[in-house]
Amino acid sequence: MRGLLRAVAWIVLLGLVALAAFILVPEQRTPPQTNPLAAGWQPAADAPLYAARLADCAACHTAEGGKPFAGGRPIQSPFGPIYATNITPDPETGIGGMTLDEFRAVLYDGIGRKGENLYPAMPYANYRTLTEADVQSLYAYFMHQVLPVRNEVPRTALAFPFNQRWGIRAWKWVGLPAAGFTPRFNDPKLDRGAYLVEGPGHCGACHSPRNAFFAQDGYTSKDPSFLSGGLVGGWTAPDLRTVGNAIAGWSAQDLDLFLATGRNAHAGVTGEMELAIAHSLQYMSAEDRAAMVAYLRAIGPAPGTPPSAPKRVVARAATFGGPDATATEKLLASADPAMPLGARLYLDNCGACHFVDGKGADGIFPALDGNALVTAPGTAGLITTILKGAALPSTALRPYAVAMPGFAGRLSDEEVAALATFVRGAWHNRAGAISPADVRAIRGAAGGGLDASSLY
Amino acid sequence: MARQAQKKDVVIIGLGWTGSILGIELAKEGLEILALERGPDRKTVPDFRYPDVADELKYGVRNGFMQRPRDSTVTVRRNLSETALPYRVLGSFLPGNGVGGAGVHWNGQTWRPQAVEYRLRSYVEERFGAGIIPEGMLLQDWGVTAEELEPYLTRFEYVLGISGKAGNLNGQIIEGGNPFEPSRSKEFPLPPLPDTYDSVLFAEVAKSMGYHPFPRPSANASAAYVNEYGMQLGPCNYCGFCERFGCLNYSKASPQTCVLDALKRKPNFEYRVNAEVLRIEKAGDGKTATGITYFDADAGEEIFQPADLVILCAYSLHNVHLLLLSEIGTPYDPATGTGVVGRSYAYQMTGGTSLFFKDKVFNPFVGTGSGGVTIDDFSISQIDFAKEGFIGGSYITAGHTGGRPIQQLSLPPGTPAWGRAWKEAAGTWYGHAMSIGAHGSNMAYRDTCLDLDPTYRDRHGRPLMRMTFDWKPNDIRMTQFMKAKIEPIAKALKPDVMSSSYKTDSSHYDVRPYQTTHNVGGAIMGIDPKSSVVNRYLQSWDLHNLFVMGASAFPQNTQYNPTGAVGGLAYWAVEAIRKDYLPNPRPLL
Amino acid sequence: MSLSPSALTRRSLLKTTAIGLVMGVSLPVPLFARSAEPPPLADYKPEYFTAQEWAFVMAATARLIPSDGTGPGALETRVPVFIDRQLAGAYGIAADWYMEGPFDPAANPQLGFQSPLTPAEIYRQGIALFDGWCRQALGSPFAALAPVRQDQALKLLEKNALAAGKPPAGATPAEAGPLVPPELRDFFTLLLANTKEGYFADPKYGGNHAMQAWVYIGFPGARASYAEWATRQNVRYPLGPVSISGERA
Repeated sequence: MRGLLRAVAWIVLLGLVALAAFILVPEQRTPPQTNPLAAGWQPAADAPLYAARLADCAACHTAEGGKPFAGGRPIQSPFGPIYATNITPDPETGIGGMTLDEFRAVLYDGIGRKGENLYPAMPYANYRTLTEADVQSLYAYFMHQVLPVRNEVPRTALAFPFNQRWGIRAWKWVGLPAAGFTPRFNDPKLDRGAYLVEGPGHCGACHSPRNAFFAQDGYTSKDPSFLSGGLVGGWTAPDLRTVGNAIAGWSAQDLDLFLATGRNAHAGVTGEMELAIAHSLQYMSAEDRAAMVAYLRAIGPAPGTPPSAPKRVVARAATFGGPDATATEKLLASADPAMPLGARLYLDNCGACHFVDGKGADGIFPALDGNALVTAPGTAGLITTILKGAALPSTALRPYAVAMPGFAGRLSDEEVAALATFVRGAWHNRAGAISPADVRAIRGAAGGGLDASSLY
Repeated sequence: MARQAQKKDVVIIGLGWTGSILGIELAKEGLEILALERGPDRKTVPDFRYPDVADELKYGVRNGFMQRPRDSTVTVRRNLSETALPYRVLGSFLPGNGVGGAGVHWNGQTWRPQAVEYRLRSYVEERFGAGIIPEGMLLQDWGVTAEELEPYLTRFEYVLGISGKAGNLNGQIIEGGNPFEPSRSKEFPLPPLPDTYDSVLFAEVAKSMGYHPFPRPSANASAAYVNEYGMQLGPCNYCGFCERFGCLNYSKASPQTCVLDALKRKPNFEYRVNAEVLRIEKAGDGKTATGITYFDADAGEEIFQPADLVILCAYSLHNVHLLLLSEIGTPYDPATGTGVVGRSYAYQMTGGTSLFFKDKVFNPFVGTGSGGVTIDDFSISQIDFAKEGFIGGSYITAGHTGGRPIQQLSLPPGTPAWGRAWKEAAGTWYGHAMSIGAHGSNMAYRDTCLDLDPTYRDRHGRPLMRMTFDWKPNDIRMTQFMKAKIEPIAKALKPDVMSSSYKTDSSHYDVRPYQTTHNVGGAIMGIDPKSSVVNRYLQSWDLHNLFVMGASAFPQNTQYNPTGAVGGLAYWAVEAIRKDYLPNPRPLL
Repeated sequence: MSLSPSALTRRSLLKTTAIGLVMGVSLPVPLFARSAEPPPLADYKPEYFTAQEWAFVMAATARLIPSDGTGPGALETRVPVFIDRQLAGAYGIAADWYMEGPFDPAANPQLGFQSPLTPAEIYRQGIALFDGWCRQALGSPFAALAPVRQDQALKLLEKNALAAGKPPAGATPAEAGPLVPPELRDFFTLLLANTKEGYFADPKYGGNHAMQAWVYIGFPGARASYAEWATRQNVRYPLGPVSISGERA
C-alpha cells in the first residue's frame, strides 16, 4: 500500500517534471524536408507571389479594408477571436528580420519567433508538406515583395484554458502529421495534384472531418476520411471523395471551370469557398489546375463522367414539361393556387432564376436539384444563402460577379423554413426538414448584415 | 479655375454601350483610360435586384432609371417659328442615366439596317431618280456599306448573345428567318425566344397571307450564354419588366451583363460617376482636343482632365449638345442650310393596331422585352418609292413586353376614361388584347434639327439644346401605307374589337405620350465635311483626336431600332482607332 | 458538432461559425413585410392634404373608380392614401422635373407640361378652385354633392369647362371665359392618372390595398417569373399575385 503510494507520488512528480519540461523546454524545429536547394538558389520571378496565392495567406492575414498582410483580422473561434498577425516585413510589428529557419518553423511546426505555440487557426498541419522551394518562395515574398506596414494587431486573449498555449503543444503531439511530402502516384501530374491539394491548398482543412482531438481526420488521400466532407460553422464543406459525393457527376472540365471561376453547369460557389476561389484558386496555372483536377478525380470512387458532347443550345423556355418532368416541376408549372406554402414561396422568390425544374442555368444560376448546399446535413449554408444571398467572385475567365440577392427582408423564419424544406425535398432531393428555430438562430446571429448589397 | 487632373491617354464621355465597348477594346492597348459618367453607378445587385425592381410605379411611371429633366433636358418646337419650350416632364422619349445608360432599360431589339439604308441617297437616285426626293428632305449616305460593317455587327451580336434566326446566311436564304435581311456571316449566337400566344397568332395569319414571319432578333437571352469577355447571361424568364427596367435576371444584354465587370478588372481602366462633362477643350490651333472639363458632383468642383484621345459616348442628343457647347464644328443654321452640327435630327415613325378578343387569353405579364414575330415584307428595300409616293419602310411586328397594369392596360375604343364603366372594362379586357405594330424609318429634313436654345439653361448655366421637329408628309404617307397593310392582317384574326393609331395629315409632334427613344442625327457621319460632323470612322472632321459614337451619327433614321447599328459602328470605329489611328494619330481621311 | 474545429483553420469562422455559436440564443421574431391591417381610411391622418382637401380626394377618387359594380373601388384599395403620400414626397415637389422659367402655361398642350406649379401645388390650388366652383355653382363643396352631380362636375373639370358665374343650368350664362387658369389645366389629368396609379401600383405606396386591384384583373404583381408559361396558349394563368414585400393573395 505504502509502496503503491510512493509509486504514485513518483509518477505524479515525474509527471509534473515532464509537464514543466513540456511547457518550458523549447520545441525542436523541423528541418527542410526536400532535397537541399543549390547554393544561391533564388525563386523564379513570379514564384513568390504564386506561392503566396496558392497558400491563400491573404485570406486571414489581410484585414477587411486593411493593408495587405498587415494582420488584425479577427478569426472567430468558439473560444474567442484569434487575431491574425502582421506578416509584412515591418521589423517591429511584423516579421521583418525573421530568419528562414524561423519562418519555416512557423509553417511546419506552428512555432512562433519567440518559441510560442501558434493556434492551429494557422494551417501548419497542412503547410508541413511544403517543399523547400515553396517555403523559400514564400519567404522571399514576405521579406522582399510585400511592403512593410507598421500595424500592431490586438493580442489574442482567449479564455482559460485556451489561453494556455502549452496545451497546443500537446495537441500537436496527437494532431500533427509527419512533415514533408512524399510522392506516391508514380505520375508527376497526380503527385503535383496531391501536393497542391494536401499541402498549400489546404483543402482538407474544411473538406475533411475532424477527429476526437479536433484535428483534421486524414491529411492525405491514403486516409479514407480525407476530403470526405466537413462542417464549417454549420455549413457543410462538401464531400469530394466518397460514393455519391458533391462532384461525382462532374466532368473534368466542369471541375476545372469551377476551380477557375467558381461556377459551372452544376454549381455556383458559396460561403468560404467563394473566398478560396477569389483569392487563391483562380490564379493557379492551367497546368496546376489540371493536376488538381486529375488528383481529385483519381482519389474518388470511380472514374468521373466523361466529357459530355457539346449540347445543342435549346431555348430555356422550351425545356419545361418534358416527359421526364418531375412531380415538383409539374406542381410548380401548374401555378395552382392550392399548392403548399413551400412551393408557392419557391415560385414567388426562387423560380425566376432557378426555374420550376430546379435546374437553374449553365454557369450562372446553380441547379438546386441535386445541389450539395441544398441537401447538405449542415443547413446553415442553405439558410444563410436564402437570407443573405450570395455572390460569385470575379475571375479572369468569368469576370462577372453574379449575385443572388438576399430574402431576409421578405421572408419570415416560418417562410424560410417552409421554403428550405420544400427545396430539400423537391425534384430528386430527399433531405430533411428545416425548422423555423433553425432559421431564427441564423438570422439572429447575422444581425443587421442580411442585405445582399453588403456583399459588394 | 478648374483643377487640373493628371493626364490620361483616353477619356471616355458616358459609360453606356459605346463607352463600355470603347473602354474594353482600348484598354487592351494598354492605354490609361478614364470614363466619366454623369449619373450614378448601377449594378444588377443591388440596383436591379429581384423583386424590388419589379416596381412599375418607381421605374415605369416615375422613370427611376432615366435622366431627370431637372438635371438635363431639351427644349422642343415643331417648326422654326414656334417658341421652343422645355421638355419638363419625360414623355415622348426617355434618355437613360447612370452606368449602363439606355443599355439598362432598353427592350433589346437588335437589328441590322437594310443594305440600302447605308446609301439611301445613292439608292434613291439610282433606282428612282433624284426627282422623287421631296423638297426639304436631306437624304444622305452613311459613308460605310453593309458589307464593310457586317463583321462588326456580328461581333456586337455575339458580345450581346442575341437570340434570333438568320434569314440570309452568306447569301443563302434560310427558311424561318428574315429573307429580306442583308447577308450575315454567322447564325445568331442563341436560338430564338419561344413565341407567346399573340406572336403565334400573328405568325400564323401572316404566313397564310403570304408574308414571311420570323423571330425578332432579341437581346433577351434564350439560354445561358458566355461572350468573348467571359461575361454571362442567364436565360430570360419572361418576367414582363423589361422596358424601362434594369434586368433582374441577368438575361438582358446590357453593359452590366456583357462588358463592365470584365472592363473593371483592367488596371488601366478607371471610371467616375456623378461626373458630368461640361465641355471638350480645344487646342490653340483648333485641330485637336486637349481633354475635357467636367463637374465632379461628389467633390463639388470643376476638373480639367487632359487626354490624348477623347471619345464622346453619351446619348445621341447629349453628344450633339456637347459639341455645340464646346463650339466644335460649325453649328447648323436651318435658315441658310449651312453648317453641320445639329443638322439632320430624325426620330422614328411608329403606329399600331390593337386587337381585342373576348375568348382569347394572352397572359400579357408573361413577356419579354424583344421576343416576338416580325415581317419585313414592307421594309425599305421592298418598297417602290416612286409608286407608293414616299421614301421609307417599316417592319410589322407582334409580341408584348409585359402586362403592367398602369401603363400597359389596353382597353377598347370608346371605353370611358373613368368611372364604373372604366373599372369594369379593365376587369373584362385585361389580358384579352394584343397588338400589331409598325416601326418605321424617319427622314431628316432641312427644318428638323438641333441647336442651342436662346432662353433656357441647365443646372450648370449652359444653354439647353433646342429640338426642332415635326412629322412630315412623306413619313405620314409611309405609316398610312403600313396601316393599310396591318389592318387586313388584324381583321383576319377576327378580333371582337380593334382600334388603330397611326399618324395622319393633321398629326403634329406631341411630347407627352411615350413614342420611342430613338433620337438620331445631329452629329452625322458622311464622306464630306460640308455635310457631316464625323467621317466614316466616326472621327470628328474638326478635331482628329475626337471620336463621336452613337446614333447621332445616323444621317436619317433607319426603319429599325438603332442599337444594333450603334454597336456595329462602335466596333468598326474602335478597330480603326486601334489599327490605324493610334500608330499615327491624324485625320484618317 | 457546432464547435467545429475547422473553424480554427479558416477565417471563415467569422461570418459562419459565429452564426453557429449563437444558436439557441433567442431573439425576437424579426419584422416582416406582412403588413398588419392598416387603420381604417377614415382614421388616416394625411401627410399633405388639409381636411377639406382630403374630403375632396376621398370623394373624387370614389367617383373616378367607384365601388359599385364588379371589382374594388378607389376607397377599398386606399387610393387616397397613395395620392397623399405621393404629394408629400418627391413627386409632389416635382423633384425630377425641369422647373426653371420662363413659363408659358397656356402653350400648345402638345408641348407638354408647362405649369410653374408642382403637382402638390396644382392639387392645392385646383381643389380650392374646383370646390369653390362646386359651392358657387352647385351649392355645396364637391364632397357633399350627390354622386350624379359629382360625376357631372368632374366631367366639366375634365374638359376644363368650368365657367365662372351661375350654375351651368342656371339662367345667367358664364360671365367670363373658362375658370380654370392655364397653370391648373393639368389638374384633372394628374388626379385621374394618380388615382389609377394608386389603384394598380405595388401596395408599398399605400394604395392597391391587399393587392385587390391586381387580383381583380389577374395581374400577378412582382412575381416576374413565367418562363414555364411562355408557350401556354389561351390558358388563363391561375395563381394570385405577390407584392414586392412578399404579401400573397
